[in-house]
Amino acid sequence: LRRCLISVDRSLIEKSIPEVKRVLQTKDTFRNVTILSTLENLKSIKPVDVCCVTSHLLTFYRDRVFKDHQETSLEVMRQISSIANSFLYMQKTLEQCQVHNQCQCSQEATNATRTILDNYDQLEASSAALKSLGELDIFLTWIDENHQETSTA
Amino acid sequence: AVPCVSGGLPKPTNITFLSINMKNVLHWNPPEGLRGVEVTYTVQYFIYGQKQWLGASECRSISRTYCDLSAETSDYEHQYYAKVKAIWETKCSEWAETRRFYPFLETQVGPPKVALTAGEKSISIVLTAPKKWQRHPNDDTVSMQQIYSSLKYNVFLYNTKSRRMWSQCIANSTLELSWLEPNTLYCVHVESFVPGPPRLTLPSQKQCISTLEDQMSALKV
Amino acid sequence: LTGGVAVLPAPQNLTVLSINMKHLLMWNPVAQPREPVLYSVEYQGEYESLYMSHIWIPSSRCSPTNSLECDVTDDITATVPYNFRVRALLGSQTSAWSTLERPFNRNSTVLMAPRMEVTEHGLHLVVKLEDPGPQFEFLVVYWRREPGATEHVKVVKSRDTPVHIETMEPGAMYCVKAQAWVKAIGRHSTFSQTQCVEMQGEPL
Repeated sequence: LRRCLISVDRSLIEKSIPEVKRVLQTKDTFRNVTILSTLENLKSIKPVDVCCVTSHLLTFYRDRVFKDHQETSLEVMRQISSIANSFLYMQKTLEQCQVHNQCQCSQEATNATRTILDNYDQLEASSAALKSLGELDIFLTWIDENHQETSTA
Repeated sequence: AVPCVSGGLPKPTNITFLSINMKNVLHWNPPEGLRGVEVTYTVQYFIYGQKQWLGASECRSISRTYCDLSAETSDYEHQYYAKVKAIWETKCSEWAETRRFYPFLETQVGPPKVALTAGEKSISIVLTAPKKWQRHPNDDTVSMQQIYSSLKYNVFLYNTKSRRMWSQCIANSTLELSWLEPNTLYCVHVESFVPGPPRLTLPSQKQCISTLEDQMSALKV
Repeated sequence: LTGGVAVLPAPQNLTVLSINMKHLLMWNPVAQPREPVLYSVEYQGEYESLYMSHIWIPSSRCSPTNSLECDVTDDITATVPYNFRVRALLGSQTSAWSTLERPFNRNSTVLMAPRMEVTEHGLHLVVKLEDPGPQFEFLVVYWRREPGATEHVKVVKSRDTPVHIETMEPGAMYCVKAQAWVKAIGRHSTFSQTQCVEMQGEPL
C-alpha cells in the first residue's frame, strides 16, 4: 500500500510560519502548557497513522484554530490566510489518498488527536488558538519529517 | 544568594541564542548606563510545556555576558526560553527574556571539513559532515547528517586561470572532479544546506589546490 | 445619479494576467474628468470564502493605488481559488465593489521556457539559468549528439553561480535543453531552445 505523502509549500515554511511564530509566540504567556504536546505525542505516531493524524490536525486548524483567533495586525492576518489556504490545498491532496484507502485511522491515531483537542479545550479559546498558531513550526516540522519517501519515523 | 531589590537596575539587552551545530550559547549586552560598574548576571531557562524556570548551574553570579546552555537545551526537538538578570550589590534588574528558541529549526549548520587531493587533471573532494555539539569530548560523536537526513552541500569551484566558477549541489560526501586543466590552481569552498526554514549559512574556509603538471608535456621538456 | 447625488461608478473588466507565478490583477479606469481616482484591492482565498465569507483582506500592495493594475503575487500563496474585488475612491466618495468574474487559481499561470546559457569549462558542461523565483526548479536534459543517444536529466535550482551538469568526453558535441518545474502547482513549462557545445580536446 503506497504511502500517502504531501508536500508543504516552501513559502509557508520560509515566510508565513516564521512571521506568525515571531509575532504570536511572544503573546503566548502560558509557557507551561502546550497543545501539540511537542514530541511525546507526535513522535509516537507510526508511519501508517501519519496520513490520518495529518488530516485530523489540518481539520483541527481549519475548524477551530483559524476561527478562534482574532487578529488585529493586517500583516499577520495575511500570513494566517496564506497558511489556512495552504492547509486547504494539503487537505485536498489528502482527500485523494482517502479515496484510495491510504488514510486509515487506527485507535492510536484517534487517541493522539484526542489528546491534542483535550489540550486545546483546557484553555480559553482565543488563548488556545494563539498557542496553536505559535506551535505551527512543530506541526510543519512533523509533517516535513513524516511525509518523505524515506521517512521511517 | 542575598535577596536583591528587583528593578533597581536596567535590564540586560539584546538577549539571544547563538546556535551552531546545536552548541547553544546565550548572549546579551550589559544594561545601559552602567559602565565601569561591577555587574554580575544570573541565568535561568525554561523548557516549553514544563512547569518552572530552572537555574543554569554554570551561570550564577557571573561577570561574563554569555552562558553556554548547550547541555540544558540538548534535546533539540524541544523548545526553550532563557532569561538573565543583572545584579549589583543589593540591586538587581528585572529579568530579560529570549523569544521561544527551537534548536532543531534555528541552529546554524556549520560547513563540512573539506579534504582536497589533486591529480594530474582531477581533484578529489572528501567532505566530513559537521559534528553536533558534544557534552564531553569522549561522548559518541553525532553527525549533523544524522539529525538532518536532507542535509546537502553546495560545492563552489573556482578556476583561478580562467576566472570562472561553477557550483554543484551534492547529497553524499565525495566528489571527483575529473578532466580539469593540468597545472592549474583551483579554489573550493563548501556550504552545508538544509531545506526548510531560512538559516544562516556558514561557508567553509576557501581552500586552493593545484592540479599536477601534465605528464605528457613534462616528458617533452 | 442617485437621489441627485453623483455616484462613483465601480471599475469594470477585472482580469488576472499570470506569467511564471507572477500574478497581475488589472481593471478598466473609472472616467473622472477632474480629479485622479484611487483604487482599493481586496482578496479572499478559498478558505475565507468557504469558512469566513465576511472576511476580505486588503491587498499587500494596492490598498490604495492610483494604478490600473496590482501585483497580487504576494497575496496568492496557495494553490486554491482566490477571489478579488476592486473599488474606486475619489475624495470621500467610494464606488461599489467590482469582483473578479471567476476566482483565479495560480495553477493556471503561464510557465515560460527558461532562458539558459550553456558553456563548456574544458570538459565540463555548465549552465546558467535565469531565476524567475523561489518556487522554480529546472529539469536540465542533456545528451551526446550522436545517433541513438541517451538523454540524461538533472534537476537543479537556479543559483547566482553557473551550475555544473556533467563531465564530458573530449572532442564530443553535447546538446542541452531545460524546462521550468514548479512543485507548488505540479506543472512544468515547455522546453527551452536546444543549445549544443563542443568539448575541447581530441576525441578519445
